[in-house]
Amino acid sequence: MRERFIYDPFVLPFMLGFIFIIIYLVAGIINTIRELPYEDRKKLGKSIFSRKIFVSIKEIFMECLIHSRIFRRNRMLGFMHMSIAFGWFLLIVLGHIEVQLYCPDRVNLPYFPIFFRYFMMETDSTLKGALFFFLMDAALLMVLIGIGLALYKRINSRLMGMRRTTKLKMGDRIAMYTLWAIFPLRLLAESFTSGISGGSFLTRGFGLVFESFVSNEALIQPTWWAYSIALGAFFFALPVSRYMHIPTEMLLIVLRNAGIKSKRTNAGYGNIELYSCSRCGLCIDACQMSAAARLDRKTTVYFMRMLRQQKGDIEAAAQQCLMCGRCVQACPVGIDSCRLKQNVRRSESFLSPAQYRYLPPTETIRTDVLYFAGCMTHLTPGIGKAMQTIFERAGVNCRMMDEGGGICCGRPLMLSGQEKSAAIMIEKNTDIILQSNAELLVSSCPICYKIFNEKYNLPIPVMHHTQYIEQLIDKSAITVDHTGLSVVYHDPCDLGRNSGVYNPPRQVLHQIANLMDTRYEREEGLCCGGSVGNAVLTGDQRRKIARDALRKLTEEKPDLLVTACPLCKKTLVGAGSQPVEDIAQVVVKAMG
Amino acid sequence: MYDVAVIGAGIAGMEAASRLAQMGYEVLVVEKDGRAGGHVAGWDRLFPFQRNAANLAAEMLKMMDRGKAVKVLVNTTVADVQRDGQHFRIWLSDGQGVTVSAVLITTGFKLFDAHRKEEYGYGIYDNVTTSADLERMFASGKPVTTKKGERPQRVAFIHCVGSRDEKVNNRHCSKVCCATAVKQACEIKQMYPDAEVYCFYMDLRMFDRHFETMYLDAQTQYGVIFVRGRLSEAAESIDGRIAIKAEDTLMGKMLKISVDMVILMAGMEAAEETDKLAGMLKIAVGKDGFLNPVDEYLQGNFTREKGVFVAGACTGPKTVSETLADARAAAVSIDEYIRDGSEEKSLREEIIEKIRNKRVEIRNRRMKNEEGKSIEF
Amino acid sequence: MNFGYRINQSSMIDLDRASKDIATQVLQYEPSFAACIGCGACTATCSAGRFTPFNLRRLQLMMMRGQTDKAHAEAGKCMLCGKCQLICPRGINTRNILLAIHRLTTP
Repeated sequence: MRERFIYDPFVLPFMLGFIFIIIYLVAGIINTIRELPYEDRKKLGKSIFSRKIFVSIKEIFMECLIHSRIFRRNRMLGFMHMSIAFGWFLLIVLGHIEVQLYCPDRVNLPYFPIFFRYFMMETDSTLKGALFFFLMDAALLMVLIGIGLALYKRINSRLMGMRRTTKLKMGDRIAMYTLWAIFPLRLLAESFTSGISGGSFLTRGFGLVFESFVSNEALIQPTWWAYSIALGAFFFALPVSRYMHIPTEMLLIVLRNAGIKSKRTNAGYGNIELYSCSRCGLCIDACQMSAAARLDRKTTVYFMRMLRQQKGDIEAAAQQCLMCGRCVQACPVGIDSCRLKQNVRRSESFLSPAQYRYLPPTETIRTDVLYFAGCMTHLTPGIGKAMQTIFERAGVNCRMMDEGGGICCGRPLMLSGQEKSAAIMIEKNTDIILQSNAELLVSSCPICYKIFNEKYNLPIPVMHHTQYIEQLIDKSAITVDHTGLSVVYHDPCDLGRNSGVYNPPRQVLHQIANLMDTRYEREEGLCCGGSVGNAVLTGDQRRKIARDALRKLTEEKPDLLVTACPLCKKTLVGAGSQPVEDIAQVVVKAMG
Repeated sequence: MYDVAVIGAGIAGMEAASRLAQMGYEVLVVEKDGRAGGHVAGWDRLFPFQRNAANLAAEMLKMMDRGKAVKVLVNTTVADVQRDGQHFRIWLSDGQGVTVSAVLITTGFKLFDAHRKEEYGYGIYDNVTTSADLERMFASGKPVTTKKGERPQRVAFIHCVGSRDEKVNNRHCSKVCCATAVKQACEIKQMYPDAEVYCFYMDLRMFDRHFETMYLDAQTQYGVIFVRGRLSEAAESIDGRIAIKAEDTLMGKMLKISVDMVILMAGMEAAEETDKLAGMLKIAVGKDGFLNPVDEYLQGNFTREKGVFVAGACTGPKTVSETLADARAAAVSIDEYIRDGSEEKSLREEIIEKIRNKRVEIRNRRMKNEEGKSIEF
Repeated sequence: MNFGYRINQSSMIDLDRASKDIATQVLQYEPSFAACIGCGACTATCSAGRFTPFNLRRLQLMMMRGQTDKAHAEAGKCMLCGKCQLICPRGINTRNILLAIHRLTTP
């Protein structure tokens, strides 16, 4: 190996882009860290000098390079992402190793490893050289296969398990085309140069083929120029494109592992989440508004883009969401987009808490177990009556907190961004709960359960009735027999994905029925379409979502569809003639 | 070999079959239940003139049987139908196959399953029942009582249960429930003159010539109390009474009342068989599940599939008299179709000839049976 | 036109003078606002209505007839619990309407 040149003007486009992006990233990181609250900055500082940094490094490797979460969703899609990211990473690393090995003096020239083949010539062939030629060609081939798949995905995304992909805007398109161009251009440049620089199966092979009908010498300069321009253009397009996720995701992983969470505004961590969105579009198919009601353009990926670019009716986009959490579940980057939406909603608070002065002074109910049926449960008396039977049979001293109708738990207000108003509900209900001297609060509504758990700061435990029933059966306070029914269990969003209560209903159902598996359970549970998280969805759209969910849940034709939420129950009953019951009702049947 | 297959032996099917038989056609009637007569045979009295429903059905069955040209297969459903040129090949659930020239769908309606309006407590509270249940109680001849066997002091009729309700995918009005509620309210008052009877309605649709008189009688003769408001929910008290909530919309105030019995006026939905047949015969189904005739005005009994006809409540809720009129219209349409639709002249002539012969034969037979009384055709 | 007698303003809806601007805006924002058949189920089921006179059916009608004076305060009573939406036979997006009325009538 011998050095031919140390500089050529064609490196300029690359260098300009490179300097630009480095300055941009450094400024971005400083700005983000400045936006973080003091305690988060402290957390970050601590985590960098602790074992957590290794966790982060591993996660960066697994997610940013290997894309393991995407692999889990679809192997082909994962392979595509891995080929490009890991292949490119290998090219960079191997390039640097080559420089280290052959001309350590040039390590401080950022362009040198990138255009290594142009600057070096092969003087004698060694095993070491051949190995590097081979490795570099293999890495390049890997990237090219990835790019090929990416091209094919644009034509037929179903191959990768995606029914719909993101519709891209100009910035993204420019960045995407330049990204696609970089590697074929590199292949051409290295192939034309391979007569001088040497090469392996790919570059030398192409070089020999080209030699037979074009003059390789003449094409060396133009192709290296084109390669450099493509790189430079990509760097310049990066900040306005989705590929910003490449550097940002690494920072996100470090911050997340430091224990930093998004706060009440989208500054700081929220911003990093925004820039970490790769617009891969996996959330589009996950969203039932898109899958069932054709609201593709209302899905999270577009909200994220609007919020990042501060364009369009962001407030409306934040409202058009079921807040079911399926997109959060599907996101390979782990972005809590529901929180970002909630922050936008919160900024639109306009209801006046003073309006609720009509709420009466607290009426004291003394009891051991306080039961909050929930507003919706008043429209599904089957659930309320079943719970009443269960309390009686278990011999529990229980009183209903909202007999004949109560004060709303506040979560619907909260979800619409009206937090000050929600605080009034929380305050009023907290008073009733505290004055009751109860040891336990049980609710039949997952919506209420979630807010009782997360926002009420109660001194007593809160249980959803699925958990409570499980406990009663465990303690043999009630006895159940097998009903012989085949059932499918539908996880309500606010109980399952949004509160993590997956096992208690299953434990109970295993004892009283034949619980059938579905593809749509636990984290993959569906939204019934009834969600109070979305105030703008039309009745027709809700119906479409509900019918689609019901169809999917009853694919295996169960005798009974079981759920644990009055709203889910009501919505699914309205969607067809399938019998739907709450778990409490099935338990009452099983008690005989 | 039959000329026409009638699917469903409710009043529409029976009426159409007997008319077609009178015209000289051989008719096969397929009925999924164990008896002919449909919903009507299980009811007590029919508005507006208190005609005994079971008797009406029985009379119709006798009429249909008269010419011996109608074959009724009970406990039988259609497994498959296929067009075979000018004919239809029908496979029945008993394995038998028949070929006919025309098919008439008279699958009627299905009663809305009141369990689906859970907020009203049907199947949860003892004393919440449906109009169909009440009709059966009346038909049984025993006094109407609460679950515990007590005579009700207060009864509430709830209109539009499963009708005009987007939440259960039934946008349509079931048409007969208003009149039925008024009829049943009066019947309760006839049974228990001192009981309080309430009707909770959204709109009172007393559209027929005699309905307004029924309404007026309910108010003035029977003292039925009408409240304009849709029930929101029902709750059961310890003594088994039902507390119901509605808005008295004319007062603009919330209204609460405890009653001994709640009667839900369950509406009409398209029958399941309707959808199945529509799929097999490729005929148009509306969003509401009822069948769409090819032209609501001029060809109310025709479908877009030649030779397939519809009549009765399978094309939307109808009263008894409307259903019967529709069935007769369908018989005329089928007659026209068979006579004009046969493209080969010889076949057409053959059919006309056959009909002529049949008519003469029937006339002769009937004249003999009915002791010389002449019958006009 | 004078009908020959004077009418107390508050006792009559004067559709010649009534402004339906806000109702039109609500309708544009939430078209299902027009679908009300006045059955009153929303009012009967209302969680807030248990504690205070609050009538969504009447509020809708008031808006449609241009009587918007008290609309802001009325709409603000809603707790957004969603029972009315679950029960409305016309599938009206009641929660969105309440939010819209409140926002559009903010003085």
